[in-house]
Amino acid sequence: MCVFVSINAVGLNDLLERASQLSEKLHSLSTSLTNDLDSHLPPVGRMMIPRPSMCHTSSLQIPNDKDQALRIPEDELLSLARSLLLAWSDPLTLLSSEASSLEHPERNTINTKTQELQDSIRSLGTGLEHLVHKMGSSSDDLSDLPFNTNSLGQDKTSQLVNFHFLLSCFRRDSHKIDSFLKVLRCRAAKRPEIC
Amino acid sequence: TTVMSRAAGFSPPGRPRLTSCRSPEKETFTCWWEPGDDGGLPTTYALYYRLENSETVYECSDYKTAGENSCFFNKNDTSLWVNYNITVVATNALGKNISEPGEVDVAYIVQPNTPENVSAVVVHEDQIPFVRVSWEKPRTADTRSGWITLVYQLRIKTEKYVEWEDYDAGMQKYYNIFSLHPGKQYMVQVRCKPDHGFWSEWTQTTFVKVPGYLVRERSLWFM
Repeated sequence: MCVFVSINAVGLNDLLERASQLSEKLHSLSTSLTNDLDSHLPPVGRMMIPRPSMCHTSSLQIPNDKDQALRIPEDELLSLARSLLLAWSDPLTLLSSEASSLEHPERNTINTKTQELQDSIRSLGTGLEHLVHKMGSSSDDLSDLPFNTNSLGQDKTSQLVNFHFLLSCFRRDSHKIDSFLKVLRCRAAKRPEIC
Repeated sequence: TTVMSRAAGFSPPGRPRLTSCRSPEKETFTCWWEPGDDGGLPTTYALYYRLENSETVYECSDYKTAGENSCFFNKNDTSLWVNYNITVVATNALGKNISEPGEVDVAYIVQPNTPENVSAVVVHEDQIPFVRVSWEKPRTADTRSGWITLVYQLRIKTEKYVEWEDYDAGMQKYYNIFSLHPGKQYMVQVRCKPDHGFWSEWTQTTFVKVPGYLVRERSLWFM
């Protein structure tokens, strides 16, 4: 009950502020993870990385420039961010379960950061749920973006390559989520010093 | 004629090299290349690009806006979160040469223009004057809609000093600097960085003179 009350006491602006901070962290973390992985990817592995259009979220129609993004109603923009975030719940679970067995000199760092990613998307997911209620959002149609993989591969190289591929997909998606949430933040907040 | 031209020391163009791409505001971008050897003949350059999810090849529509050896992608030609596969083709009377292809997602090449209208003034609100530095966002960056978010940093030093002192201003567009030496002239510069991207260049130096007020009067009070 206490938790319930305290969450509801948080205003819309603050919720969006926190959500933006989390989404910003998600993207920075995924960038830093990509760099860690890049430091030791065999050249043959680099050639094997699937095209970004193979990402399991690439079928989701999203605004991909400013004019499109600004035309989209708030609740839809929030739904897009939530759909993307939801689509990463399973793949990130897979990544964190396999991070500890990666054949990579930075394995421990990668493992820690992957767990941190997973924690952050959970917090952000919860935060966005509250936002939906706060904004009195009418549309609640989230897109289903199934992820039908339960292993990164048998041999060490394909494990590394698929880890890298998934992470680069997530990196791009976390940038989208962050961009949409920051547009929402500025629409809600009429604070000229921030926006 | 080809044989004769070759004998005269002419040759097909050398390989051009795609050097960099940059977006100042997440809405447009520019790519630059370095021409190779022109083979002693008039050589033209063309930039071609293809988006990751399509087979259609487009040619650059604007070689002028961003100057020599560049292609400007206007708003209509700019999408985020999709890789552009880019090549530059050099052509002269004796043949062609194609650059190594480059891959770029506009989301990852954002470097804003410098902040604008930097001013630094001495404020005497209290006994000890301080310097208030203020500036405006780069004109092209639409921070108001939230499409791009900028943080600022400033640096200050006296003319004789080599080392700058840095201050992070966050998203604010002003910063107060205390504890400066009276009677000295200071140099101030400002730069900005998007939430995900690269620092802009520093602005041109703005000068501010801190007045030579009397410190001795104050210390007399305490004696």
